Amino acid sequence: MTAFFVQTGLFFRRKLVETLRQPVWIITGLTTPVLYLALFAPLLRSLGGEPAFPGGHVLDVFVPGILVLIAFGAGMGAGWPVIWELDSGVIERLRVTPASRLALLLGTVLRDVVMFAVPGAVVIAVGAAFGYHVHWGGLVLLFALLALLTAACSATSSALGLKLKQIGSLAAVVTGTQLPLTLLAGILLPLSLGPTWLRVLGHFNPLYYAVQAARSLAAGTVTSGTVGLGFLVMAAVAALTVCWGTRAYQRAMA
Amino acid sequence: MSSSTAPAVLVTGLRKSFRVAGGTVEAVSGIDLTVRAGEIFGLLGPNGAGKTTTLRILTTLLPADAGDACVAGADVRRAPGSVRRLIGYVGQLGGADKDATGRENLMLAARLYGMSADAAGRRCAELAEVFDLDALVGRPVRTYSGGQRRRLEVALGIVHRPRVLFLDEPTTGLDPQNRANLWEQLRLLREGGTTVVLTTHYLDEADQLCDRVAIVDHGRVIALGRPDELKQRYSADTITVTAEAPLPVLDAVARDLADAPFIASLVVDAGLRDGGTIRLTATDATRAMAAVFDALASRGIPTRAASVARPSLDDVFLRETGRSLRDAGPDRAGPDVADPGPGGTGTGAAAEVAA
Repeated sequence: MTAFFVQTGLFFRRKLVETLRQPVWIITGLTTPVLYLALFAPLLRSLGGEPAFPGGHVLDVFVPGILVLIAFGAGMGAGWPVIWELDSGVIERLRVTPASRLALLLGTVLRDVVMFAVPGAVVIAVGAAFGYHVHWGGLVLLFALLALLTAACSATSSALGLKLKQIGSLAAVVTGTQLPLTLLAGILLPLSLGPTWLRVLGHFNPLYYAVQAARSLAAGTVTSGTVGLGFLVMAAVAALTVCWGTRAYQRAMA
Repeated sequence: MSSSTAPAVLVTGLRKSFRVAGGTVEAVSGIDLTVRAGEIFGLLGPNGAGKTTTLRILTTLLPADAGDACVAGADVRRAPGSVRRLIGYVGQLGGADKDATGRENLMLAARLYGMSADAAGRRCAELAEVFDLDALVGRPVRTYSGGQRRRLEVALGIVHRPRVLFLDEPTTGLDPQNRANLWEQLRLLREGGTTVVLTTHYLDEADQLCDRVAIVDHGRVIALGRPDELKQRYSADTITVTAEAPLPVLDAVARDLADAPFIASLVVDAGLRDGGTIRLTATDATRAMAAVFDALASRGIPTRAASVARPSLDDVFLRETGRSLRDAGPDRAGPDVADPGPGGTGTGAAAEVAA
């Protein structure tokens, strides 16, 4: 068991160093969410009176949406390096060692959680400066919830990389699912703005529950059913996808 | 269980098929082999013969469809974890992390086998020295030359002092100097008690480096033994002596020699001017050559030229498959390869070319 934690730590450090060696990604990872706040949020100000934005400030609705988007993006990038590592034989070499396949997957997952949390904190700080109301208790739980989302996306992307083995196929699948998933979750604009059929469709999207719970938590409502359901759905999806990713590592063939 | 006498690798009835578009292809069709502890064992064959698939099954990367495989006493199917602790693997792709430094690669590998950070650091320094990587380990692997990278990859494969080291086409793409260097490293490992199993499609690598060789084709072992033993078993040395004497005189010499037990066959050809050529195949080239010189000298016939062509492992392959290993490359290997029929005249022709 200790070996498992040591290995997870080793793989986590390896992935983190790998990211820190590419400052471009860090810079865009930090600037993209800030650009959303600066360039997209002003468009929403005119919607302030709509029923979908209760309580006045649009950023209270919009900031949690951006956080979900960052969490999604931080996780979904995991599959690309997996394919490079398949092509260069790194994964094959690691699979011949006694290292735990779960640890191998979790190294990347944990790195991605960090890659969500750091820009996420920046968004909170910048958003607060623009008038977003911070509810500390809800915020901690919000980050925990979205860490689960990042983990699920990261495990999914790794598993897809291992299964598809080609950058082109992976890109097609990831971008092909990203748009419907994010649109049907009401990330940028609440689904309550839309017609009934859209709202019904959203209920089949696990991401929708994360977004609903995220809005509730960001508003400081910690003990609602929405929050409970959000955690339940995200925990289940994270567990399933981590199992899938681990199995993919067990069977990976270059 | 004594590990010194137990086989390092024991394989029986190994089979593996792959699904491809339009059916299945059997990559390994019933391989049996035993690798002794402490030897360098080679799997020789053309591309697509099933060497890599066999190696991947033995290294727990791929499950076999049928058959049993034990490596260092552990069952590949039932105890893959034990096998992984006991073996090292250097794949065709290498597998070094190119953006990381050599040291980071070595440290991670060492620590994954359970070494402490201190122990891993010491082992890393030791390997850097043995593989002449001291000046490089702090640099990203991306900046290494092909030979340097291969040295690092072999170091990665033995970081935990494995009992059996598997290498898949280890010298492909290396220049002669790096190739010789790697052979030397593998011989040193053998001296240290490590069993080495490698695949190759180079005849000279199998011949000069390996203690024993399994020649593989279409997923089967078609010949197995020491290289010299295999060559003797399947074909003999060819001796060609050109002498200055009329043909009838040379015929008489040939009759003198015909009864020698170490001479298998003998032919006399007319030469261009006043001379001819005696061509013979022998099981013992040294004695046969001496006998020919003696026979010529006793009649006062001057010798103009003499040569010996030793058989190569290609002759063995040719005898068994009807094709030359040199020609059985990736683009021509397969069931539709031209088959000149068993026992063709290939051996003689190959010896001629070599002479």
